[in-house]
Parts: sequence; C-alpha cells; structure tokens
Amino acid sequence: MDAVTYPHENVIHEPETKVIPVRIPFDSPLSKEFVAKWTPNLLWVDTERKTHHRVIGFLPPEELTPAVSLGVGKTFLDTGALDRALGVLKEVIDSHPMSHAAPEAVYFSGVCRYKQTHEAAPLKEAYEKIQAGYSNTEWAKRSAPYRLL
Amino acid sequence: MGTIAWREDVDRAVDEARKQDKPLFLDFFNPG
Repeated sequence: MDAVTYPHENVIHEPETKVIPVRIPFDSPLSKEFVAKWTPNLLWVDTERKTHHRVIGFLPPEELTPAVSLGVGKTFLDTGALDRALGVLKEVIDSHPMSHAAPEAVYFSGVCRYKQTHEAAPLKEAYEKIQAGYSNTEWAKRSAPYRLL
Repeated sequence: MGTIAWREDVDRAVDEARKQDKPLFLDFFNPG
C-alpha cells in the first residue's frame, strides 16, 4: 500500500474528503482493541470507536477510493444517517461501477432504501441490478433471496 | 512523493472526526 496505492496521484487527497485517516503500527496496543491480526487491515470506525467495515489485504489505487466511500456509506447506514449513506454509496455505483466495491454498494443502497420506506421493492431492485451487472460476484448470492420478494 | 495526510494519535483523530462529522479510516500496517 505504501509503495503503490497511497502515493498514487488519484488517491492522495481523496480519503480526507470523507474520513479522518489514521495509521497505526500493528504492534500497537490498539491492535487488540480493533482486532487487527493481519496487515494491511483497514477499518472504518465511528466516533464511538465502533467498527462498521473492514478490508484485509492489499487494495490497488483504483480500488481505494471506492472502498473508502463504501466503508463510509456502511458507517452512515449503521449509525442511521441513511440519506448520507445513500449519497456516498451512489458515488461508488456511478463513479466506480467496475470496482469491487460497486456490487456491495448496490446491495447496501437497497438496504438503506428498505429502511427508509419499509417496502420490499428496493431490495428486489438491488437484486436485479446486481444480477444485471455483477452476476459473478458474491453479492449476487447474498442478494439471491430478494428475487422472491 | 506525496501520501495521504495520516494522523497517528487515535484519540486526537476521534476528536477531529467529531468536529468534522466524519468517520475514521484506520490503517493497521506492518512497519517492517
């Protein structure tokens, strides 16, 4: 990550528009609090120090920006900021449709809209969008039950 | 060569996150 991803010109300034970035050596006592047993270990954490998303392993430059937005969206979702979650998840879907984060963003956009409306339609729409664009991803399987809605 | 403006103190970063109303992005790394 230090040699390839973080110095990349498209990456340097982007994370700070959405998150406060913190680097912690894995031998820090904080590794126990945040259950970081392997590196790279990337976590999205709220101000109560609760973790809402985690990525273990290397991310190339083109995947970091959508991954950051996805993690922010999931943090907003978990903390009830549904409109803000939908905004950043839409960014992933619209601006980085070929990223690994995109199908997960589609899935959780459906979840957000379900929580806003309590209607099943957004979940089925998420399933259909994932089937149409991301049928070979794990999110196609995870959303499969929504085909019955 | 530039890089991200990393913070190193989590407690101060949490305060900053509250003020800016943003989540934190933690990178646990192997210093080698």
